[in-house]
Amino acid sequence: MAKKIRVLIAKPGLDGHDRGAKVIARALRDAGMEVIYTGLRQTPEDIVEAAIQEDVDAIGLSCLSGAHMTLFPEVVRILRKRRAKDIVVAGGGIIPEEDVPKLRKAGVKAVFGPGTPLTEIVGFFKKAAKGA
Amino acid sequence: MRELVAARRRRPLRRGRADNRVAELVQDLARGDKRAAAKLISLIEDDEPEAAEALERIHPRTGKAHIVGFTGPPGVGKSSLINRLVRAYRRRGKKVGVVAVDPTSPFTGGAVLGDRIRMAETGIDPGVFIRSMATRGHPGGLALATFDAVRVLDALGMDIVFVETVGAGQSEVEIAKRAHTTVVVEMPLSGDAVQVMKAGILEIGDVYVVNKVDLGDADGLVANLNQEIHPRNGWTSPIVRTSALEERGIPDLVLALERHRAHLESTGELREREAARARQEILDNLRRLVEERARRADRVRAEIDRLARDVVERRLDPHAAADALLLGMARRRRVPVPRRRGRAS
Ligand SMILES: Nc1nc2c(ncn2[C@@H]2O[C@H](COP(=O)(O)OP(=O)(O)OP(=O)(O)O)[C@@H](O)[C@H]2O)c(=O)[nH]1
Ligand SMILES: [Mg+2]
Repeated sequence: MAKKIRVLIAKPGLDGHDRGAKVIARALRDAGMEVIYTGLRQTPEDIVEAAIQEDVDAIGLSCLSGAHMTLFPEVVRILRKRRAKDIVVAGGGIIPEEDVPKLRKAGVKAVFGPGTPLTEIVGFFKKAAKGA
Repeated sequence: MRELVAARRRRPLRRGRADNRVAELVQDLARGDKRAAAKLISLIEDDEPEAAEALERIHPRTGKAHIVGFTGPPGVGKSSLINRLVRAYRRRGKKVGVVAVDPTSPFTGGAVLGDRIRMAETGIDPGVFIRSMATRGHPGGLALATFDAVRVLDALGMDIVFVETVGAGQSEVEIAKRAHTTVVVEMPLSGDAVQVMKAGILEIGDVYVVNKVDLGDADGLVANLNQEIHPRNGWTSPIVRTSALEERGIPDLVLALERHRAHLESTGELREREAARARQEILDNLRRLVEERARRADRVRAEIDRLARDVVERRLDPHAAADALLLGMARRRRVPVPRRRGRAS
């Protein structure tokens, strides 16, 4: 049995739409990955705890509420605190261009705006799992 | 599943101080470290070279957890019920593990594992460990590594471990062979008793749950089930009505699980079930080992080619050919007797 890439897809924050997150989850599945989908309204602590228990290679965060500048870096921070910084974090959603460098600096490895081709996202997670 | 692989390792384990990664992980596991548990499950699931050693070290630390399997058609409410039970057992101060299995796509090899959605309220509770698992092509509603993951959670110190099978809606005897207590979940709208019987499900349930009683009249289904359930070894499987949504009937379900556990213990059936499971696992591993060896060794492969020709030429039937092959394999390679060993450190 070969090592499988495992990715956690989570939606922190309070907005109630997860269509985008589900599309990503399916695309990753179709690329042969195991995607753990945790549903809506998760706190950063919940997300990190789930990521550790599921032993994922990467976390994909989706946020449409505008709270990404606090939520995404918070996930990275808690991962570090739990000595699990080998888990790669990527984020997506409605994210203004000027926030991207700040998020990258905070340890978010990739930021995907709306309209990012799925192949690019799939490619990122494939590479992230290998490089980790 | 892989104890025999472990037995094949002839080098005895070093005792005492942790001297390698696996030993360290298992020591951390015994201290209740969830990250170690998660890493060990992956290592076994991916069948890494250290998997056999990991299982060998973990096995002596297991045997305390009550293993409860949940099966039933898709969407019947297995995850939601387990979520409620997790809360109920936590309130009683028990530590709870969950292994939830979802199917792997046969086309892409990928999977979306969604059982966690229903268990989200568990959050960061330190006394809970939930692991999602894809079948990776294994039939029977479970993954090959499912019960190895259960072992890991047992060794992590969980008092009870729930296993959620793929809701295939058909007979899932594998879970019944492996769990201490098997819970079969149905719902009022899921069809008549004839269907239930066809599924062979009436032979495997230690506890029956009629969930979603908030949605419709459960009396018909309960009456039908009642007619079909007969005492087995002094145990008559109870039927519990629940609504996971409205949190109804959960204490009754807890009581039914506790009663069954007590029944297994007082009648000695617990040991019997464990022995049955061990026998099954030894046979599973034997099959795996023989197949692996047959496939790997050139000599054996050549022998199979020769025998296959004999079968095609009608000089030999396939059964006799397998017999001959097994005999040849056993003769040429003495079966190593595994050394008796004390507890792993
Ligand atoms: N009305 C009602 N809905 C319920 C109840 N229990 C679960 N549900 C709903 O039924 C749906 C499926 O519930 P799950 O717990 O995911 O069912 P499952 O058996 O784990 O499903 P699979 O894992 O996909 O086989 C969800 O929308 C739940 O909210 C209940 O008691 N009453
Ligand atoms: Mg489920």
